Amino acid sequence: MTFKQVVWKMAKVHYKKYLLYLLCNSFVVMFFFMFSTLYFNEQIEQVKKLESLDYVLNIPAIALIIFSMFFITYAHGIFIKRRKSEFGLFIKLGMTNRDISKLLSLENTLIAFLAIVIGLLSGGVFSRLFFLLLINSVGLERISFQLNSKMFYFPIIIFIIIYFFAVGKSLYLILKQNLLQSLKSNKVAESIKLKSPKLGVLGLVLIIGSVLGLFITYGGPHAGEFLYIWFTITTVGLYLCLSQFMSFFLELAKQNNEFYYQRLLLLTSIDYKLRQLTSILMLVTMMIMITILYSTIIVSTYMLNEQEMLSRNPFDIAFLQPETKDNLSIADLDSILKNEENPVQQHIVIPLYSYYEKTYDGWYNLYNIMTVEHFNELTSKEVKLQGREYLHYLNVEPEYAGDENKVIQEWIIPGREGDITYSLKKTIIESNINSFLGLSDFIIVSKSELEFLKANVNGFASKLHLINVVNWKETRKTVEALEGIFDNEKIPPILDVRGENISQENPFQIASKIDGHNRNIHSNGMAFFVTTFLSIIFFFASFILLYLNLFSEIDKEKAKYQKLYNIGVTTTEVKRMICREITITFFIPTLSGMGLAFLYVISMTNKIGGILRNPEILWQFFSVSGIYLIIQIGFYLFAKRKMLSHLIQEK
Amino acid sequence: MVILDARNIVKIYGESLEEGSTTALGGISLSMKKGEFVAIMGPSGSGKTTILNILSGIDKPTSGEVVIEGKAISEMSTDELALFRRQQLGFVFQEFNLLDSLTVKENIMLPMILEKKGAAEMEEKVQSLSKFFGIDTILNKYPYNVSGGQGQRTAVSRALVNEPSIIFADEPTGNLDSKTSEVIMECFEKIVQELEATILLVTHDVFAASYCQKVVFIKDGVIHSYIVKKGNKKEFLNQIIDNLAVLGGSCHDI
Repeated sequence: MTFKQVVWKMAKVHYKKYLLYLLCNSFVVMFFFMFSTLYFNEQIEQVKKLESLDYVLNIPAIALIIFSMFFITYAHGIFIKRRKSEFGLFIKLGMTNRDISKLLSLENTLIAFLAIVIGLLSGGVFSRLFFLLLINSVGLERISFQLNSKMFYFPIIIFIIIYFFAVGKSLYLILKQNLLQSLKSNKVAESIKLKSPKLGVLGLVLIIGSVLGLFITYGGPHAGEFLYIWFTITTVGLYLCLSQFMSFFLELAKQNNEFYYQRLLLLTSIDYKLRQLTSILMLVTMMIMITILYSTIIVSTYMLNEQEMLSRNPFDIAFLQPETKDNLSIADLDSILKNEENPVQQHIVIPLYSYYEKTYDGWYNLYNIMTVEHFNELTSKEVKLQGREYLHYLNVEPEYAGDENKVIQEWIIPGREGDITYSLKKTIIESNINSFLGLSDFIIVSKSELEFLKANVNGFASKLHLINVVNWKETRKTVEALEGIFDNEKIPPILDVRGENISQENPFQIASKIDGHNRNIHSNGMAFFVTTFLSIIFFFASFILLYLNLFSEIDKEKAKYQKLYNIGVTTTEVKRMICREITITFFIPTLSGMGLAFLYVISMTNKIGGILRNPEILWQFFSVSGIYLIIQIGFYLFAKRKMLSHLIQEK
Repeated sequence: MVILDARNIVKIYGESLEEGSTTALGGISLSMKKGEFVAIMGPSGSGKTTILNILSGIDKPTSGEVVIEGKAISEMSTDELALFRRQQLGFVFQEFNLLDSLTVKENIMLPMILEKKGAAEMEEKVQSLSKFFGIDTILNKYPYNVSGGQGQRTAVSRALVNEPSIIFADEPTGNLDSKTSEVIMECFEKIVQELEATILLVTHDVFAASYCQKVVFIKDGVIHSYIVKKGNKKEFLNQIIDNLAVLGGSCHDI
């Protein structure tokens, strides 16, 4: 039997170790590849440039690289830890460092190669699927799945750099380490490092301090720069907290022996786990925090935009029908709008007379003149006007009125036979008409005055249509049909000059909820798409990390439970203990990640009036966290079942 | 008063009568009275640890019956056995079996914690036991910070904490040097004399065995012979060595 055969035989026996390691690396390649199919997608790159969405993709790219560094190093560490004693034995039996290096390099090159192949193949399949699902659900049909060479270079190169860095490091350590240590590496009990309750308290103080700092500075001028500082401080605080806070709590608990002893096993196992797994738990906590925070922010932005869109579009569909396009009767319109599944509930037609007034600096003010009867119908008011009285009506939300809120006591309009003067009765500011039509300034006069003005003043007559249907989300086709009918090419706008150099620009406008909604989806869809994508990657990755961690120590765990069993701990009690430990490993990072994300959300909403004034963000946060928690519970149950069957069946 | 009574214990690994099955124990009967200190000796593979595991309920016999304080443990379920072990039996293992995440004090308390005893009672018990074994100064240390002897004394204290009917010790000196072994064996001797404990010890260390009152020799899964201490420890030691020579086992631990 040659040495090569020995190595091959050992590899075959321990195939599970290799398989796990290979899978982890394949995952990294897969995640990278999936991300680069997104990042280097040509259509997405165009959207990126157009909508300056670079940051949306760059931050996740950096996060993904940092995460992969941790992940590969960790997976490699576990793999090497299992094999160290084997190498120790080889060295003891006379294997040279050269042989060891050769063996390790060969093995790892093979694994890297396989990982790349598996990762690219599975990444391609999942990415395709992902595009299909998400693009359709988000409504970004213009973006299609594609492959190009950049997409392949990026994951392969980054993976190879990170991977061989990890391999090089462990190779160096193995060759440097003394023989005895390698042999014993499996036996030495993991020592419990520094115990310092004070550091635990300091960690908590740092976290609270950084959140308060964020709360205070987020609305300020350098919010962006400060955010990085606070985030760094939170990270440090979290590390200290995770590793030391439990010892602070233990000190407290020990004050009450009755309490402490009854919960001794639970408390000490939390403490032990937290110390042993500080960095891994921290990584997972941060990942969960970022995922939840990021998706809350994006979903909230979308929701807020949607809300604003709804408030800016009081009617489902609104359009202005200019004079030249008056050839379409109400009956014709009805036939377009007629939809048995989505009938029109309300259709208000308001005749308008528009007049352009030249300002002193060469601009024009547009005044839309409406009768008081129509105004009353629109606003459900009961205003009465007499003679040359007028109502100044501003179609904006009162808080946005700004300097438009000017009081014109006397409105003078030049008629063909001299100026006509109206006196102000009242100014009314409220939003009743879809703002996207660009109609904001209205002059309300009595019916007879409007007729008079039409006859005496140069202007455009038009009809304002305001329509409500049962379900605005189903109006897409209707809106498209309307746009088609009023198309400017079919019915050209009035180009003759009326008044003073005024032509009928923007002749046909339609403002609908569905258009606003589509615009919103388009601008937020991209961000939403990327976030969902990364959330899923991070989510699986965090689960794999936790899972790896639980199962890398399984032999040690088995020995520990055997000890307990020997001194008379029942299977039920062992089960309970195992469940507790898994619960700790799974839910401490999840809950602390959520807690931190929550604090950050509270601090960041301070700028827009606090969380209580934005309940929809709170709602968003809880939905995202809730979904996260539910899936995490699923993972937890799966891991628990696996773990129990592994540990208990042996008895 | 009979504490332990084992009748015709047989243990076969693998399906009996099939090829490849191994008979580890071929019908062992053993009885122990309160306050007895007995060692089981024999060469490697003779079934020492198997008999101990069966007597203590960690393993189940293929046939035969084990009765401890009038209770047939062979008929108990796994969980009943575990409960019985922690309430009625004490264990000392070669590797100490201490939990790394607990301090010495907490390790000693563990069986009482599982029994949900009151804090005051536990404190008192730990204090008296740790003084008895001279480990009261290391109570707040962790297992990996104490010496082998201290670790084993911790394990002995833990075995005693629930006042068991019988203590089973599996190679308790196996990981210790001769000086420390002496300390541990003196501990056992002391608890037999002062606390009237009953101890069954499995060992291949003749020096450790010489502390007992009786040594049972087993070979190939059956009892070969036994000797009872009549004179002093030195004479008993020589007697054990002679017996082992007859048995054919090596006695490299002299």
